[in-house]
Amino acid sequence: MELNAFIKNFEKQFDDELAEPIHAYTVFKEIEEWDSMIALSMIAMVDEEYTVKLTGNEIKQAQTIEDLFNIVKEKR
Amino acid sequence: MISLKNKKVLVTGASSGIGKSIAIQLSQLGAKLIITGRNELRLSETLILCEEGGHTALIADMTVESDINQLVKNIEEIDGAVFCAGIISYIPIKFLSNDKINDIFDVNFKCQVILTQKLLKQKKINKQGSLVYISSLSSKLGVAGTSVYAASKSALSAFVRVLATEVAGQKIRANTVSPGIIRTPLFTNSETSIADEDFDNKENAYPLGYGNAEDVAAYVAFLLSDNSTWITGSDLVMDGGFTLS
Repeated sequence: MELNAFIKNFEKQFDDELAEPIHAYTVFKEIEEWDSMIALSMIAMVDEEYTVKLTGNEIKQAQTIEDLFNIVKEKR
Repeated sequence: MISLKNKKVLVTGASSGIGKSIAIQLSQLGAKLIITGRNELRLSETLILCEEGGHTALIADMTVESDINQLVKNIEEIDGAVFCAGIISYIPIKFLSNDKINDIFDVNFKCQVILTQKLLKQKKINKQGSLVYISSLSSKLGVAGTSVYAASKSALSAFVRVLATEVAGQKIRANTVSPGIIRTPLFTNSETSIADEDFDNKENAYPLGYGNAEDVAAYVAFLLSDNSTWITGSDLVMDGGFTLS
């Protein structure tokens, strides 16, 4: 499971091009375009791409995109 | 005063949540129950919590037609049935698939229809019987992620209206309850898409707070009783005032 691919999959969930580029260390909840719909899409994407059930609590606790990546990797 | 003495009632989805609470409350009102669910351990727990009354617990997976056949074959004629089995899933529309749609519709809609069909075909519902289906407030709203869940519950509500017409000749009644958010494992399981903190915060949108399974059980008991003999084809929204705003 590869971090760059995960970041690309994360970015795909946004409908428009992001105002700022994103990285592993980006605090995803501070992305201007982040909202509850993106959170739901993230959960669905992770289930589809990585066969992992990411929970609302885990998204709440994670800070960076890399945090999310690690949670998913751990659960695989 | 509601009494269900001398009434035999089938409760599906009785292993947990609303179904479990309904079973327990109906037993307290004197009903003789046939409870069913997939999980043997949790179904046994429901049975233990019921008031004594000669109840039966039958394991059955409602999505397996042969299980439904066995269940209907093994029960005596009933005076009421409560259809509680259901699953929820938050999936944005762009992530839907045939399989996901089928999974939700199979449990929330098809198996309720098939069970109803078999109960009627095999004449297992006594005249003046009462059938109660648990739908959801989601079927009337547009909450993100609930497209297929809401559609399945809407389909169920529509089905029950027609059912009410078809069985009226036998004085059998069919009604639906559409609850808002109830604190049950369906929602409070920490493995859900909604964070605990957000779930608690969303409760502010309910003037009377989230509901409890007992709230739904009380209304179901009313529908099963002789106190509601003129009510059929209804769909009651129970939402603690949520839709007022």
